[in-house]
Amino acid sequence: MSLIELKDVSKLYGFGDATSVALDEVSLSIEKGECVAVMGPSGSGKSTLMNMIGLLDHPTHGDYLLAGKRVSRLSANRRARIRRDKIGFIFQSFNLLGRLTALENVALPLLYKGLPTSKRNSAARAMLERVGMHDRCYYYPRQLSGGQTQSVAIARALVNDPELIIADEPTGNLDTESSRLVMELLSEIHKAGNTVIFVTHNPELTRYATRVVYMQDGAVKYDEQTKLGEVGSYARNAMYKIPETTEEDDLAGVSVLMKVRPSETESPKKAPAKKPAKRTTRKKKRKAAA
Amino acid sequence: MTSIRRGYLRLAMQSLRASRTRSFMTMLGIVIGVMSVIIVVAIGEGVKQQIGNQAARYGKDVLVVRPDTSGDIGGSGLPGGTASLLTNTDAEALRQTPGIERVVPLSALKGSVTADNRVDNPLVIATTYDLDTVLNQKIAYGGFFTPADGEQVAVLGPDLAHQLFEDTAPLGEKLTFRGKQFVVAGVFKPFLASPLSLEANYNQAVFIPYIAAQNILGTTPQINQMFVKAKPGTDVQALSKTVSQKLTDAHGGAQDTSVLPPGAKGSVSDRVLQLLTLMTICMAAVALGVGGVGIMNMMLVSVTERIHEIGLRKAIGATNQQILRQFMTEAFVLCLIGAVVGVVLSLSTVGMLKLYTSLQPVIVWQVAVIAPLIAMITGVIFGTIPALKAARMDPIEALRHE
Ligand SMILES: Nc1ncnc2c1ncn2[C@@H]1O[C@H](COP(=O)(O)OP(=O)(O)O)[C@@H](O)[C@H]1O
Ligand SMILES: [Mg+2]
Repeated sequence: MSLIELKDVSKLYGFGDATSVALDEVSLSIEKGECVAVMGPSGSGKSTLMNMIGLLDHPTHGDYLLAGKRVSRLSANRRARIRRDKIGFIFQSFNLLGRLTALENVALPLLYKGLPTSKRNSAARAMLERVGMHDRCYYYPRQLSGGQTQSVAIARALVNDPELIIADEPTGNLDTESSRLVMELLSEIHKAGNTVIFVTHNPELTRYATRVVYMQDGAVKYDEQTKLGEVGSYARNAMYKIPETTEEDDLAGVSVLMKVRPSETESPKKAPAKKPAKRTTRKKKRKAAA
Repeated sequence: MTSIRRGYLRLAMQSLRASRTRSFMTMLGIVIGVMSVIIVVAIGEGVKQQIGNQAARYGKDVLVVRPDTSGDIGGSGLPGGTASLLTNTDAEALRQTPGIERVVPLSALKGSVTADNRVDNPLVIATTYDLDTVLNQKIAYGGFFTPADGEQVAVLGPDLAHQLFEDTAPLGEKLTFRGKQFVVAGVFKPFLASPLSLEANYNQAVFIPYIAAQNILGTTPQINQMFVKAKPGTDVQALSKTVSQKLTDAHGGAQDTSVLPPGAKGSVSDRVLQLLTLMTICMAAVALGVGGVGIMNMMLVSVTERIHEIGLRKAIGATNQQILRQFMTEAFVLCLIGAVVGVVLSLSTVGMLKLYTSLQPVIVWQVAVIAPLIAMITGVIFGTIPALKAARMDPIEALRHE
């Protein structure tokens, strides 16, 4: 029995002529213990798929079985409880509540579970220790770097000992070093037996995955098993097809890729500054159109 | 379960602290609501009690008889002299009535009084030697005049004593009224003044014997007010009807006097009190409504500002009820703090009013408990709408929101 089983899942937005298809009859099974990288151009439905799998959303058509149970037609509160107990989320940005300390952020799912304060705090502390953030328990999110913020978010995703970790572009806002740190953490979680699904635009990061799913226009276009430590073949293809690095692409994060593999291409000497998420998205859209 | 509640409480405190100014402004509505109710009721109660005290100014067996006239002397509270319909004949007639022990007339006279200083148009009251037997008012210095003191004696209210002599105890000193000299035989202790009272301010009065006034005027002075003291064991209520009937008969059937039994308040102050109570209720309703709408606005803004937060909370497993409870807790905490601050501030304001004004407000503890309770209920009810809005938000829509 697969952990996740999507059967002809579609997600439509709008009515009549204005209908847009975010997911187009996607069928996908993911086994327990897999580490799946989801790739694809912007607007291809990756986030929609993540939200669907993570029970934030429900399909317009089709069926979804999570651990053998049909969950596609559950009430909002039932889905909330499954999210709380079985699924850990990591988003691209604004993952943490700014008014809470790192510790309080990590402990939040346990609050919703109804655990007493002392248990919440000790569990949260243990998780922060696991992601190497135990000395930042009482820091507020604004006092943390991007990588540290994502580490805390990972600790929070783990605190309920979920069966499934979903990360939608967890490294989208990070520089190379932080990206690597976050991916190493996710990889460790995977190696400890968890199922991890993450979205990335960086083919290099498919090295951490055992499987790469490539999406386009709301459908799975390519799906391959890879070995840990290897870039997926389709992804590799995509990687080499990347056109000459322009200055804008460079700012948009392509240089990250170049820096990772300096032997392959000559990288222009531009440090990848931290860039706002919106900008990145716009660039990628243009690239996808090209 | 309690630990979860405490968790919500901490969350609420955190988010309220994070937007301090807004929380403060919202609380202000509740604070003002609670304060206005408690303070206005306290002032009203103070006035009520003062009027009650005034009733206790006379004995329980004393009727107050007044002519029904509109004008009075310079706001003195004693009905106007020329329009006065009570005469010495009326007094004499009543003295003959069975069940009546004595009748004490009060007549206001015009004219200025001179001693060390001159006071124009003070309240000069001519009365009989037995006024002190119907008036529950202690003498501070000397004593009330007796027949043994003769006719040219006077007893002063404390304020007037001070104005005339710049001395609190001018016993034996002389004052001049209409060319006659009077010797000061005593000074009253301060009369409880009441801002809304119909009674004359006796602190500003000089009392002289009725006989002396008769000598000055050359006739029996008209009477502005009479105290009628019942004999021991007489039914005072029945007596008041008898007196009323007697005066009506004496005035040829005209019902031109009113007889106030003991404890009766002047009808005007009754109306003032009713008005005051009504005003309080209106103010309370408006203030609490404003406070409630304030809470609702603040919570709506708060929800709008925190859409992404709500999305995130839902993503990590908060149910609709838990989100609802979080925002309700915020509204509740806001109202609770506002109510407590309101009570504390009104207690101190009432204390200040007592110290620095002539008002004698009295805290009504029932109101001090109920007003904050109602304020809290209002706030929580109004807080429900934004909380529901937050709870029903779609998690993805919310997460997409910046
Ligand atoms: N709430 C929505 N209303 C209308 N269209 C939406 C909505 N959410 C997503 N979409 C559309 O669904 C498609 C897939 O979006 P998304 O899953 O966010 O793509 P990705 O994460 O791969 O960039 C896009 O074309 C997007 O415009
Ligand atoms: Mg996306």
